[in-house]
Amino acid sequence: MHRATTTGERLYFRVAKNVGCMLLSFRTTMRLLTHNMLTSHVKGVTNGYPLKLQAENIKVMSVDFNPEFVARMIPKLEWQALVQAAESIGHLGDLPRELMPEYESNEEFLKMAHHVLMEVEVIEGNLECPETGRKFPIKNGIPNMLLNEDEV
Amino acid sequence: METLCQPRNVIYLMYRLRCRQGWFVKETGGGAGVLNRYFSGQSYRTTQLGTRTNHTSWCVRNKTHEWKTPVSAAVRLMHAVRQGETVMNVFDRKTKRKQKNWTASRPDHEDFDYLRDEVAYRIADRVCDVSRKFPVALDLGCGKGYISKYLNKDIVETLYQCDTSEKMLEHYYFLQATNRPSEVPTLTFQADEEFLPCKDNSLDLVVSCLSLHWVNDLPGCLRQVWSALKPDGCFIGVMFGGDTLFELRCSLQLAETEREGGFAPHVSPFTDVRDLGNLLTRAGYTMLTMDMDDLTVNFPSMYELMADLQGMGESNASWARKAILHRDTMMAAAAVYKDMYGNEDGTVPATFQLLYMIGWKPHKSQPKPAKRGSATASFGDLSSAPPQSGQNKPT
Repeated sequence: MHRATTTGERLYFRVAKNVGCMLLSFRTTMRLLTHNMLTSHVKGVTNGYPLKLQAENIKVMSVDFNPEFVARMIPKLEWQALVQAAESIGHLGDLPRELMPEYESNEEFLKMAHHVLMEVEVIEGNLECPETGRKFPIKNGIPNMLLNEDEV
Repeated sequence: METLCQPRNVIYLMYRLRCRQGWFVKETGGGAGVLNRYFSGQSYRTTQLGTRTNHTSWCVRNKTHEWKTPVSAAVRLMHAVRQGETVMNVFDRKTKRKQKNWTASRPDHEDFDYLRDEVAYRIADRVCDVSRKFPVALDLGCGKGYISKYLNKDIVETLYQCDTSEKMLEHYYFLQATNRPSEVPTLTFQADEEFLPCKDNSLDLVVSCLSLHWVNDLPGCLRQVWSALKPDGCFIGVMFGGDTLFELRCSLQLAETEREGGFAPHVSPFTDVRDLGNLLTRAGYTMLTMDMDDLTVNFPSMYELMADLQGMGESNASWARKAILHRDTMMAAAAVYKDMYGNEDGTVPATFQLLYMIGWKPHKSQPKPAKRGSATASFGDLSSAPPQSGQNKPT
């Protein structure tokens, strides 16, 4: 089915795209939650985790706080990696370096964790492999983990 | 009657010719190669070193010294795949990324989303069928984030998605900003399916919708996904199967043989359902379930099908692709297509064979096959069982 768009639809699309481009700069998602999952896979690297985060441009957005979601995400994270990354971009704040027991009921702690995980967004920066020093750039909030041919 | 020389096709051919002039000149080396007829005796610029080096290194990597024509090398490689000899390097991943970026930059890019959208809906349906909650999921080769639209918070808590093409990912943000937001918090990054930058034992679910057919090292990719999954994690994917676009493949083959005396691969090699099962087992997945589905889309003619494939970002990206598709070959192929496969109403069908797969990473909670000799009932008992009441007796 070869679709034919009407002129009206196309016009809407063009207008909306311009708006979308403006909004793009506000909807980046390189958050510390992403950083916690990424590792370096350059050939020959044995321990490429965690990546060192260097940020040039950071945005702080307000995201709806959902305590159950944060409480469920925390056991799936590497807490030390998160603390290191938050420190390197200067948004550690009062976040404790060790996970305390009974954190699910501690609202203050969950709020701080939520801020660090979801509200701090890195728009431009680098992720550096701890072993080789290879930098993976972050552009427009999207980390680029593609390897060059000689690293494969 | 469709226009024979659509401006779009001519411009496309001229563009490809300009980019790849003389690619096959030196390699065919004055032999009786099919493609030599079109290049010998004409002054073409020599190739850019980039393209030639890539082709040479591809041949060396795959130890194909009989590179008389790229066609024979491709055929040999397809055989090698079946015997499992070498690591495949059929697809030019750089070109595929450029093609995807190009299609995403088109103003009418949304017109071509229908196929992946439909299949993404079906895959999300299958994910919802699994009666389990997946806290952390990854969408491999997400494109514009087709699957993220259809997942909900009850099934997946956090979704990561990755694709090689940055322009496709930018469109994801556009969709989010306008009217199709995803319920699930989604985090995007740009990565190659063959080199997953994910920690081991970090994901509960990996989904992949129609992106693995461009992966060179499919066993390696599946193994990396397996390592990234947690024990009792699940991989749900859909790929194009062997019969995809068989009508297009056959028409082009017949037309080229008739017009040019030989043929080059125009439709990629796809994985067979049996091979896929083997690959998944070798990568370590258990409790495999595979099934097959055919999706037939009708087009007014072969030209619209080819334009749509280009718009979807599914243009040919194999190393052995031919630089030129001649106008008369295309005309002949369109005629053959209509003749052999055309529907009664004048449209032509294109088959997309979908192979769905689900595989699990082993975990001790999973059911294992029963031990030999542990049966408590025998099939022989069935014959002595009384017949069920209300059964229809044959007359």
